[in-house]
Amino acid sequence: MKLNIEGLLVYFPYDYIYPEQYSYMLELKRTLDAKGHGVLEMPSGTGKTISLLSLIVAYQRAFPLEVTKLIYCSRTVPEIEKVVEELRKLMEFYSKQTRESNNFLALALSSRRNLCIHPEILHANIVVYSYHYLLDPKIADLVSKELAKKSVVVFDEAHNIDNVCIDSMSVNITRRTLDHCQNNVDTLHNTIHKIKETDAAKLKEEYRRLVEGLKEANVARETDVYLSNPVLPDEILQEAVPGTIRTAEHFVGFLRRFLEYLKSRLRVQHVIQESAPQFLKDIYDKVCIDRKPLRFCAERLQSLLRTLEITDIADFSAATLISNFATLVSTYSQGFTIIIEPFEDRTPTIANPVLHFSCMDPSIAIKPVFQRFQSVIITSGTLSPLDIYPRILDFHPVTMASFTMTLARTCLCPLIVGRGNDQVALSSKFETREDFAVIRNYGNLLMEMSAIVPDGIVAFFTSYVYMENIVASWYEQGILENIQRNKLIFIETQDAAETSMALEKYQEACENGRGAILLSVARGKVSEGIDFVHHFGRAVIMFGVPYVYTQSRILKARLEYLRDQFQIRENDFLTFDAMRHAAQCVGRAIRGKTDYGLMIFADKRYARADKRGKLPRWIQEHITDGSLNLTVDEAVQLSKHFLRQMAQPFRQEDQLGLSLLTLEQLESEEMLQKIAQVAHQT
Amino acid sequence: MDEEPERAKRWEGGYERTWEVLKEDESGSLKATVEEILFQSKRRRVIESHEQVRLGMMRHLYVVIDCSRSMDDQDLKPNRLTSSLKLLEAFVGEYFDQNPISQVGIITTKNKRAEKLTDLSGNPKKHIDALKKAVDSVCAGEPSLYNSLNLAVQSLKHMPGHTSREILIILSSLTTCDPANIYELIKTLKSLKVRVSVIGLSAEVRVCTVLTRETGGLYHVILDESHFKELLMMHVKPPPASSSSECSLIRMGFPQHTVAAPTDQDAKPSFSMSHLDSSSGPGLSLGGYFCPQCHAKYTELPVECKVCGLTLVSAPHLARSFHHLFPLQAFTENSVEEHQGDRFCQACQGELKDKTIFTCTSCQSVFCMECDLFIHDSLHCCPCCIHSQIGP
Repeated sequence: MKLNIEGLLVYFPYDYIYPEQYSYMLELKRTLDAKGHGVLEMPSGTGKTISLLSLIVAYQRAFPLEVTKLIYCSRTVPEIEKVVEELRKLMEFYSKQTRESNNFLALALSSRRNLCIHPEILHANIVVYSYHYLLDPKIADLVSKELAKKSVVVFDEAHNIDNVCIDSMSVNITRRTLDHCQNNVDTLHNTIHKIKETDAAKLKEEYRRLVEGLKEANVARETDVYLSNPVLPDEILQEAVPGTIRTAEHFVGFLRRFLEYLKSRLRVQHVIQESAPQFLKDIYDKVCIDRKPLRFCAERLQSLLRTLEITDIADFSAATLISNFATLVSTYSQGFTIIIEPFEDRTPTIANPVLHFSCMDPSIAIKPVFQRFQSVIITSGTLSPLDIYPRILDFHPVTMASFTMTLARTCLCPLIVGRGNDQVALSSKFETREDFAVIRNYGNLLMEMSAIVPDGIVAFFTSYVYMENIVASWYEQGILENIQRNKLIFIETQDAAETSMALEKYQEACENGRGAILLSVARGKVSEGIDFVHHFGRAVIMFGVPYVYTQSRILKARLEYLRDQFQIRENDFLTFDAMRHAAQCVGRAIRGKTDYGLMIFADKRYARADKRGKLPRWIQEHITDGSLNLTVDEAVQLSKHFLRQMAQPFRQEDQLGLSLLTLEQLESEEMLQKIAQVAHQT
Repeated sequence: MDEEPERAKRWEGGYERTWEVLKEDESGSLKATVEEILFQSKRRRVIESHEQVRLGMMRHLYVVIDCSRSMDDQDLKPNRLTSSLKLLEAFVGEYFDQNPISQVGIITTKNKRAEKLTDLSGNPKKHIDALKKAVDSVCAGEPSLYNSLNLAVQSLKHMPGHTSREILIILSSLTTCDPANIYELIKTLKSLKVRVSVIGLSAEVRVCTVLTRETGGLYHVILDESHFKELLMMHVKPPPASSSSECSLIRMGFPQHTVAAPTDQDAKPSFSMSHLDSSSGPGLSLGGYFCPQCHAKYTELPVECKVCGLTLVSAPHLARSFHHLFPLQAFTENSVEEHQGDRFCQACQGELKDKTIFTCTSCQSVFCMECDLFIHDSLHCCPCCIHSQIGP
């Protein structure tokens, strides 16, 4: 159908539209008009992707000078494929409607085996790829730096974007890394020797270039051609490469020294935490390495690798990592911390020293993106509370909106189970974690649910350790055996192959009527990437609140940083983080309007306003007072009722006019008013 | 927050809160609303049953009853098993009333096995007796969809092509324990044109959705006991005859009931053929139906002759089944104000008091609501049309 969104003609490739899609497009258009950034939350399964694509493509066609390119970032390869599929549908619709071959070029970068290097792709109108291509400075430099300023960047499924940013800027150095790097440096040394005998002019030429400094890069940045690289700070572009590392041999020697220093630092017996300036002072005292050459390290290595014409860059990943670390540590005095741990917490007897150079400020990685592109849209099914994202990513959005799902029938049923049948409070909090009564009641809940929920149930625990403890305890108490009478049990493990095997079998059991339970872990692979549509997930049970492991030093450092820099209290951030993961987990079950599922929060802490209030609005609005702090029995009764209701025939006609609109219905005055209420401005 | 939660208290959940619908009129009487409610419910039934499709006439139906552990659940009173069996008794009665020349068999499944409770036969009494006995059976283990379907198919696949092959499953459990891939069996069912319908007692199970969708059956999940009854009764009406089903001529016998006069010295009491295999019931009798082909004696009709295989029916039976082939057209509904002429129902001669009246499409006779229901549910022909045919 053809829509008129505030004067913009939008081609929408389906005959029906959800009201929230319309208001989503409305908000999106306003964001583009304002040339600002936006944060938009809309539940999964309501057609976010196609709304985004159709509006932005329409915008590109209407104002080709305002918006030249759409950069669509998603997380995983299947998600990218989904986007491309929708895009294809849209393009077919365009060519059918306008009867002209479209000159739109879309490009998807999913993996190396699908890579195309034809020069025309530089002019693609739409680019779809993974976050890392834009956020990770190492890759962004290769792929994304030539993207035009007038592009619209969309981060889909962006609820974890801060962690992606942090990961892309953080460096972990182990003994292995150092050994690899040592090998790299030796190779470099040998190659230099060889080249010196055969082609000394090449090295001279490089020397000359380095004296002139990184002018070229500087010119590029000033003329705004490239996306800036956070690893390459502004100041060094104006200066020439310092003399100490200008010749190739000197640089290799310099790297050696740096390496030796790092090795000595890893020989520790106790945990050390220090800031970047402390580290720099120490390195100066011990091996007389100045801050300045360190800052050029990454660029210098790249230059050397180019000069030596080394093709196998992947082999030099260790050296690149170390040199990036050198540049980062000397560039940013704030926002990073260095933690050296002699062993892992779980295995205190095995020496495995790690140097964590950990980024605490996600805004560092994403800053160039916000600065460069005129519109950046952050969107996901779970972004609540919306206001925290602009704060931790340090940007100012022009629109922030949360949309709910308009439903012809209430297809989700969130229940908060706070007590067992014996009135014991259910909670995964630390003090009661080992409590026998809590574990038994959790088991009881799962058992009762396994008897009344058809097909698949997915249960999430807060961590692998917790899951192992509980399952072992259930086994001893014979609960597991009772559950197995109703359904088969599959368990997610840290082994990817094992997990995908379990998943496959789980789906088979759901398909053929045997019924199955998948025990998995919040923050695990299952909780993030895998959808449990329809019968694959009729109920999701969240055992406990999935707080992150708070004893980790990196986390503590980050919390401190957030408090000092952004005035976000530790507790607020931890709760926010836990709730977004909980919402992700339970959101796995509802993937559309014809789907239905139970969402069971099995912890009494969910009933508190501070937790409940951080759930996405589309879940929150279905939590009534009657579904707080239930006992297991009460939850079972409600679930039974809900499942019977949902099993009643439900056809498309039932949705029409309520949650599914034709063009005529959409254009009616009354509906437009209703739609205006759907968007929840914050 | 909100004073009146939309869902009633949990312990009231099972009841229909009919009193909330009632509203007093000006004089404080409830009569108007009560009548309105009754009228609505009647109308619903009329609308539902007035689809104009040709229906099958001879049916072979296997009812599979889940007797697994979950049938002990007490959400239907006194428990699911007792309640289901009771409703099935009523169903069997109604089934044979509407489809006199059809047959039913009953299968139970528990402990991963399936057993035949009764074979396919047209004798309602036998089934009802078996159902009554089954109340005392113990519910245990898991059901097996595969085994029960397989067992039913073994008999159904030998049924002739002009009859319908149907399976109705009453499934309480949410799990099934199958010895082989059920999707293979579904393919077989589809190729054999067996129609499988499922009534779920607890929730929607994926495999049933697929099973019914593939075989063209219905899948429903009950809300409560009255809904359960409604769903069961939906299966009383024969399913639409598929265009692919064969049409064939069938030989049938119409035996007269003859009783030898007590004075006749030659008459000897004899055994009915249908009682030979069952030990119950009266053995010797004087009268009965004698097969016109082989003179075997039967006490009840309809039946398939055990000796020569002839289908024995009585004329009224056939007439009752016949209407499924030529269903009566739905009457058009008009408001009483629009109607010109006498305000009397052509059938009962009563005054037309309701707001709506019904007109036969072929003879333009006018009927009241009650008569319309009676004509479509029981009579299956318009009395005025018949009258004009016979009349001068």
